[in-house]
Amino acid sequence: MTVRVRTLDELLTPPAAGSSALSTQEYFVNMGPQHPIAHGSLRLVLRLDGETVKEVIPVPGFVHRGIEKMCEKLNPRQIIHLTDRLDYLSAVMNNWGVAKAVEKAANIETNGRIETIRTLMSELQRIQSHMLWWGVLGMDLGAYTAFLYAFRDREIISELFEETIGARLTMNYVRPGGVMFDILPDFQEKVKKLLKYLGPIIDEYDTLLSGNVILQERLRNVGVLDGKKAVALGCTGPVLRASGVPLDLRKLTPYGRYGDVEFNVAVGSKGDCWDRYYTRMEEIRQSMRIIEQLIDSIPEGPVNVLRASARISIPEGTYYDQIETARGVLGVMLVSDGKSPSPYRVHFRSPNFNNLWAVTALAPGWRIADIITIQSSLDLVIPDIDR
Amino acid sequence: MVDNIPGIVENFPGGSILVTTIDSIINASRANSLWPLGFGTKCCAIEMLMATGASHQDISRFGAEVVRGSTRQADLMIVAGAIVRKMAPRVRLLYEQMAEPRYVIATGACSICGGPFQYNSYHIVHGVDEIIPVDVYVPGCPPRPEAFFWGLLALQRLIKEGESIRRPDIRRKPVMASLPQGITMDDIQGEMRRLLEEQNVVNVAESAENKIWTKRLKEWMRKPSSKP
Amino acid sequence: MDAQALLQAITGVNPAAQERPNTNVPAVQVPVAGLHAFLQVLRDDPRFSFDFLLDHTAIDWMADGKFELVYQLFSTLHGHTLMVGVLIEREQPLAPTVSDLWPIAEWQEREVYDLFGIPYDDHPDLRRLFLEDDWTGYPLRKDYQDKNMLQRPQ
Ligand code: SF4
Repeated sequence: MTVRVRTLDELLTPPAAGSSALSTQEYFVNMGPQHPIAHGSLRLVLRLDGETVKEVIPVPGFVHRGIEKMCEKLNPRQIIHLTDRLDYLSAVMNNWGVAKAVEKAANIETNGRIETIRTLMSELQRIQSHMLWWGVLGMDLGAYTAFLYAFRDREIISELFEETIGARLTMNYVRPGGVMFDILPDFQEKVKKLLKYLGPIIDEYDTLLSGNVILQERLRNVGVLDGKKAVALGCTGPVLRASGVPLDLRKLTPYGRYGDVEFNVAVGSKGDCWDRYYTRMEEIRQSMRIIEQLIDSIPEGPVNVLRASARISIPEGTYYDQIETARGVLGVMLVSDGKSPSPYRVHFRSPNFNNLWAVTALAPGWRIADIITIQSSLDLVIPDIDR
Repeated sequence: MVDNIPGIVENFPGGSILVTTIDSIINASRANSLWPLGFGTKCCAIEMLMATGASHQDISRFGAEVVRGSTRQADLMIVAGAIVRKMAPRVRLLYEQMAEPRYVIATGACSICGGPFQYNSYHIVHGVDEIIPVDVYVPGCPPRPEAFFWGLLALQRLIKEGESIRRPDIRRKPVMASLPQGITMDDIQGEMRRLLEEQNVVNVAESAENKIWTKRLKEWMRKPSSKP
Repeated sequence: MDAQALLQAITGVNPAAQERPNTNVPAVQVPVAGLHAFLQVLRDDPRFSFDFLLDHTAIDWMADGKFELVYQLFSTLHGHTLMVGVLIEREQPLAPTVSDLWPIAEWQEREVYDLFGIPYDDHPDLRRLFLEDDWTGYPLRKDYQDKNMLQRPQ
């Protein structure tokens, strides 16, 4: 038996003098926990030789709130609002993930209208999330213009959400057996107007940033992650697809209305930062395609199949369900003992937690400046890692 | 602008003289050029630090757009998001690295009291004011960018009225800058426009007479040899 | 392979594997002895080729005095999933590591160690993940006590 529990300090203590044959000037540098580039609180300990990164040790946990423990005291409806706070840029999709798991477990049937609204909102949010990522990637690499452009347009979608849902960020919209509110009568018109506006805007993004020489130089061939490695490291979402593995749950196990619509899965070929960049740009376009096909065919019907006060009881058992968020596969595991209204245990398989570790494989050999590129291209949302 | 600085204004042909304290000039300058340290940990960071800084809301209208990554260049800490026990010592450290005078705005339910994570969470700090003193609280989950601006204006008011450079450690009580229901950006803009117009037509000398600082200043000048 | 055929093939490989009731995904329950070899077969056998460890976590069955380790496997080749449950003792728990099969397991196991206190045999880098190194107790255990943890007033 060889269980050896280590501590971080132990790891960061340099070996005693003379122990390694030729110790050049290796030293540790801390990035974070409060670093402007981290977009949250993530600490990366870099082992450097000169400016070349030898090793990256991610230290998460600076926003660990114990959501899984909290869920054990809440009923399925109350869990929803906590999932907003996991990956707040795909709040609707997170809500849907839990709602879907609960519906599967408790055998709740929804109707076409509910599923269509959920799909539409998710795709809108995917666009919004990728837009924010695009702007922030630009900002990280020194193109502040991109940030301003992205936020200008993101605000339009935010306002649309606010009109329908009442919140700009933490939506709490999808709930087991329905959605919180019906869409407004002019929702369809507004979305169509938005799509008409977005089409040229995404092309403008391309002219603005994608073709930029500096950006190309900093993204192309940097941080190459091949498909096999990506699978072994548990990456999902655009990060995995950019490495050439076309794993998209929307295609593989269609849920919502994804089975009825035509769209392509954006895949990269090489798995470098540029592929990850362009996979997401392409995903924005595909999401627009999905919305275009669905916006005119919202069936009639109630938006809730359960009364708001109806008690949801999950029968005894272990249930696992997953959904494709903007950053990858969100898995929800619900364990119920069949006695209390709250689940016995809830576990979230969060996409960012599993994507984060790609950084340990990608970073060695690159410079500090490239770490920033790599981290940006992984599009990490830290509270989703920490839960 | 002159109205914002309490003092005595002497009018004479061709101009006017403003007699005031160094304190009030410094305070006014401080209030109008806050350099925030963005301390975003969670969802609030998107709204408080990114959306406000971007093109649609634009924090630079309030003179606080120079968001710094380094504590040593900043004097306003915007705590946006939950602080957990692992983070707590780091918050304190960063706060202490900031140069005096330093101000803290806590935005969002999380940094005020723990918010949605208040109960049954083993790792949350119940409000950032357990670790560092807070000047202005901006409630919401997340607060709208407008609400944050309201908080920023409240802080500016506090700074202008409050502190003396001779006694930098005396702070005012923190305020809760909550936006009353139904107030929109337009209202705030309207209010600002109104203030601006008012200030332009106001009799500067008269309004300075009413300021509490003026009275103190006069008292102080009347005394033949007072030591501050 | 559909769920039934998959489960049958698995019981063919490991006779000790039992189908797990009350789930919505194909799931088996296996004893902890021989777990590593069993998972290796699942990964390498071309019929299964579970090359993707989606998720690994634990459940604390305090009343029964057991921990349950749960593995969610996925195959990018066939597109099927499998849930593997393993019961281990709650007193003096010990689990074999699978981080040599799937590298991501290294961190998923660290998370389980951090929150449940289940040490892994031969784990390359067993450290606390989210909590500080000097934290006492394992918060996701059902009997965890913390004076910082407020109870919601009824
Ligand atoms: S107050 Fe709400 S929006 Fe802000 S950080 Fe906390 S949970 Fe997120």
